[in-house]
Amino acid sequence: MSITEEDLMAYADEELGAKEAARVEAAIAADPALEERLAAERRLRTALRDHLRPVVDEPIPDELTAMIAAAAQVSTPEAALEADDRKIVSLATARATRNDHTAAQPSGLRQQWRSGLAIAASLVLGVVLGTQLHPGGSIVQKDGMLVASGSLSETLDNQLASAQDDGTDLRILTSFQRKDGDYCRVFEAVPTSGIACKTGGSWILERTSASTQRQTSEYRQAGSAESALMQAAQEMARGAPLDRVQEEAARSQGWSR
Amino acid sequence: MNRFCEELTALLPRLRRFARGLTRDAADADDLCQQTIERVLKARNQWQEGTRLDAWTYKIMRNQWIDETRARKRRSETFGREEEGTNVGSAGHIDAENLVELGNVGRALARLPDEQREAVVLVLVEGFAYKEAAEIVGVPQGTLTSRLGRGREALLRELGEAA
Repeated sequence: MSITEEDLMAYADEELGAKEAARVEAAIAADPALEERLAAERRLRTALRDHLRPVVDEPIPDELTAMIAAAAQVSTPEAALEADDRKIVSLATARATRNDHTAAQPSGLRQQWRSGLAIAASLVLGVVLGTQLHPGGSIVQKDGMLVASGSLSETLDNQLASAQDDGTDLRILTSFQRKDGDYCRVFEAVPTSGIACKTGGSWILERTSASTQRQTSEYRQAGSAESALMQAAQEMARGAPLDRVQEEAARSQGWSR
Repeated sequence: MNRFCEELTALLPRLRRFARGLTRDAADADDLCQQTIERVLKARNQWQEGTRLDAWTYKIMRNQWIDETRARKRRSETFGREEEGTNVGSAGHIDAENLVELGNVGRALARLPDEQREAVVLVLVEGFAYKEAAEIVGVPQGTLTSRLGRGREALLRELGEAA
């Protein structure tokens, strides 16, 4: 009984049943040429694995683990959906919330923090969500920290949360001072949202998460990642988020304390 | 952290290896990983507990890469870049510098047609059974083994004793 090349390779790939494998083994034992072909196949397999092995040992980029960690904060997909349902904000409501915020001082801190979410929820319809924050472009790694660069850094420097165009790919949800006095800003972009604090002249990313915002035709839902970020910002902050006047003042001094 | 996310995190080194095998380029592989993780997290309620998370995730990665290569092909056709014509059906040309860095094995692997390369990587590097690899690629097992056979033959021919 002759052994085909396919038989031999299936044997090497451990795809044969015991009986078939025994037949191939017997043939190999009787034929040095078959034995050499099998040995060549095994050398190839080792060479391929060796070629790709270094990738397995490389450190995992922070973005990847951060994306998964952010998703893990929401325990189950069902819980995420329910949470999202509660967060559906119509455009009109979002505007009203913002107006309230400037007209009458809302009651307590919690109310003020809500406006950031309302901004997150007020993005104009029809925006192209395909634009990416390229990991090599807008977020770079420096001394083990993630640092904003390029357009992200520029937007963090210049854009006021209280005055932005609808339909931009990158939005500032809120600005605040954390407990040590550094200025921080919550931003929302696809695929990465986060909190950046101006430290030593750079915007250091204190937190990143995969953006989970979604759009429907009439409503925009603030994603679970964005609300988790707002929650985190609230915990980091000293007092209320900055209002428009405070933001302008902070911007004019380059966000340094 | 829930179990799904723990398992996914543990899978990251292997996912990055598969991405490198598919794309042949470190930057492309990183982008592909990120896009895949996004898709996987969005679709995680479609994953059936008790089935293999790695095979499911590989399948999503592979489909994401197909989408990306098609988009690139459309772009290159739109701009009519003639030098891309020598590489029909693959993600784009690899520049000379990359080819040097890849070494013998990497070069031989990079020159395989995409469908043979993915079969080779899934079975010989990632260690999937024929049945699992065929399921990931979405073809009958016979198609998968024939691609694997042709890819393996080409590599053995090219690398010969060096392999």
